[in-house]
Amino acid sequence: MTQDAIITVDTAALRHNVGVLRAAVAPRAVMVVVKADAYGHGAVESAKAFVEAGADWLGVADLDEALALRRGGLTAPILAWLHAPGESFEAAAAHDITPAVSDVAQLEAAASAGVRAVHLCVDTGLSRNGAVEAEWPAFFRRAAELADRLPVEGLMSHLSNASPEEDGKQAAAFVRARGLLGDLGIDPELSHLAASAAGLSYSGTRFGLVRFGLAAYGISPFGGRTAAEWGLRPALTLSAPVTTIKRVPAGEGVSYGYLFRPERDTTIAVVPVGYADGVDRAASDRASVTIGRRTYRVRGRIAMNALVIDVGDDPVEVGDDVVLFGDPASGHQSAEDWATASGGIAYETVACLSGALTRRYL
Amino acid sequence: MSAGYLRRATVDLAAYRANLSSLVERLAPVEVLAIVKADAYSNGIDVMVPEAVAAGVRWFGTVELAPALRLRRAGVALEASFFAWQLGPDDDYAGAVEHRVDLGVSTLEQLEAFADAARRAGSEALVHLTIDTGLHREGCLPADWAEFVSRAVALRDEGVVRLRGAFSHVSETSEADDHAASVVFRKALADAEGLGATFEKRHMSSSSAGMEHPERRFDMVRMGSNGYGIPVTEGVTASDRGLRPVLTLSACVVRVKRVPAGTGVSYDYTYRAERDTTLALVPIGYADGVSRRAQHGVEVTVRGRRYPIVGRVAMDQFLIDVGDDPIEVGDEVLLFGSGDGGELTIGEWAEATGTIPEEVSCRIGARVPRVYLGRRA
Repeated sequence: MTQDAIITVDTAALRHNVGVLRAAVAPRAVMVVVKADAYGHGAVESAKAFVEAGADWLGVADLDEALALRRGGLTAPILAWLHAPGESFEAAAAHDITPAVSDVAQLEAAASAGVRAVHLCVDTGLSRNGAVEAEWPAFFRRAAELADRLPVEGLMSHLSNASPEEDGKQAAAFVRARGLLGDLGIDPELSHLAASAAGLSYSGTRFGLVRFGLAAYGISPFGGRTAAEWGLRPALTLSAPVTTIKRVPAGEGVSYGYLFRPERDTTIAVVPVGYADGVDRAASDRASVTIGRRTYRVRGRIAMNALVIDVGDDPVEVGDDVVLFGDPASGHQSAEDWATASGGIAYETVACLSGALTRRYL
Repeated sequence: MSAGYLRRATVDLAAYRANLSSLVERLAPVEVLAIVKADAYSNGIDVMVPEAVAAGVRWFGTVELAPALRLRRAGVALEASFFAWQLGPDDDYAGAVEHRVDLGVSTLEQLEAFADAARRAGSEALVHLTIDTGLHREGCLPADWAEFVSRAVALRDEGVVRLRGAFSHVSETSEADDHAASVVFRKALADAEGLGATFEKRHMSSSSAGMEHPERRFDMVRMGSNGYGIPVTEGVTASDRGLRPVLTLSACVVRVKRVPAGTGVSYDYTYRAERDTTLALVPIGYADGVSRRAQHGVEVTVRGRRYPIVGRVAMDQFLIDVGDDPIEVGDEVLLFGSGDGGELTIGEWAEATGTIPEEVSCRIGARVPRVYLGRRA
């Protein structure tokens, strides 16, 4: 009977989105990325929905995330690409998790551990994970030598999304990597470069598989186009009940720092959700919420466990359900709206939601 | 290359105990209530509460009722009092009565519901009357105060309510505003006494006011950030107060690469290497609580030297430019900590990323394992 904020995830929307994305890139395979607790949606439940809807692969950053999925009963192929220094890959082998490896040391460790297969990760320009081009010959040669006991199932890289031109350069580098591997007699079944943004818009970056993160959750990876324009539906709603209603006279301060002083008498409502729940404090006095069909501004500083909204003269009551963000098709603010209010990106708005929040699945 | 880990939040329990012991000693005979809301600022409430008890703390504040009930049911710190004040419309008042959790009530409805639960259980409700002295969140407004107090006194006389406290929150907007709030608080206390109410604990000050304004301590001070070694008063450092930061956030380098001048770095290539240099990949990102606002040159520390974050902070990782230094895979990267290793303190990190240290602490994600140092023998 707690009265905390709650995350509601519409798994029908998750399934719908995978269907849309599969159709958009068919006949290519689809990997849905469920790292960072499925971008705040809850990894195990979200992954189940994605797999049911036909996701061929699940992708995570690290092996701990992959192991959590296995413990949760997921049996689909899982790829993990961010590894601790000196990672032995023994847990990966024991739980049938496929590592993407970025250098010879990781390749050797994966072979020794007896993992089923690997994907080779190459840096085509982002300068993060992956072997740089100068390292490819030695890296690929060793992969070819080990291929009998450690099949190279995939080749992957990640785009910068800096511009179509830069992404084109990265795609060209990726093709060079494929060619070099081919010369060594390796033709990976799955080549994957594009993630949500490129997967939807640049068909030239789609190879055998496309990785979808944000788009699978129904959130647009672009500034300029909404998720709805892609036929995608946001799955996550963050809401909380009003705990306090108070009439405030004109000119009096509200919340820490008295950042808000109403110009006329008004009613404020306290909502028990704050930055400890993952709501960015930078959205203070800028973001909006909805109660029913009406929209209200967040006023004053967002505190650790509470925020305050100005409801004017409306008859809002204790217990009324306040939606911070959800599906704009239902009249709610979107995760993108909150990202704009806090000067961030929608990825952050959802992925930073506290793991301690209750998640309810519809 | 050495073996290492991906990311880690190290919580120094000895520092936490030392901070609280020192605060308890300095404020005596005023009681110290340790704020353990938001999972003890994400340090882990189950671990932190027994440590605070060992440091002499007998009161804890959890904001919401649920964590207090959970700790009570688990038998944690049964000798201590737990205090919650952000109550929901149908909160578990019966649970609060059964498990002797103190509640700050702001409205007649809350007071009656709590008293009802006590009446049904044949027990008493541990009540703190909440006064709104200007913050306009929880609390009874001065205009409604007399009616509220009178009802509480009647319920006390009936034997179903024990008047444990009267309290308020202040806005920390300015000295003048906080002084004005303290005047409202004193008047409310005097009015309540006139109506026959006496309170065991009167409390309005939290960390900074509790340190700086002895006259506003009353019977108890709620200590949040000071306990964690992160003083929030502008211009005051932890060491100025004799406090030690409790939390260190770190990660290990997982990749180093030499790149030529002009190389674009991370999403959108917002940074390009000005000359040939070495980049190191650090596997911790905004999902772990590293704000994207850290991307413009906020410095982390490796082997005692500072290096700037370059390019965008991503969900799981960021890059640092280590120049020509011999940084290796497995090297530990300190984002913030005590400052003893040359790293930023959490206060400096917060300032560099445009926020307050409490937000930095609370938003460290679930994917970051907590490692505890300095456990009691």
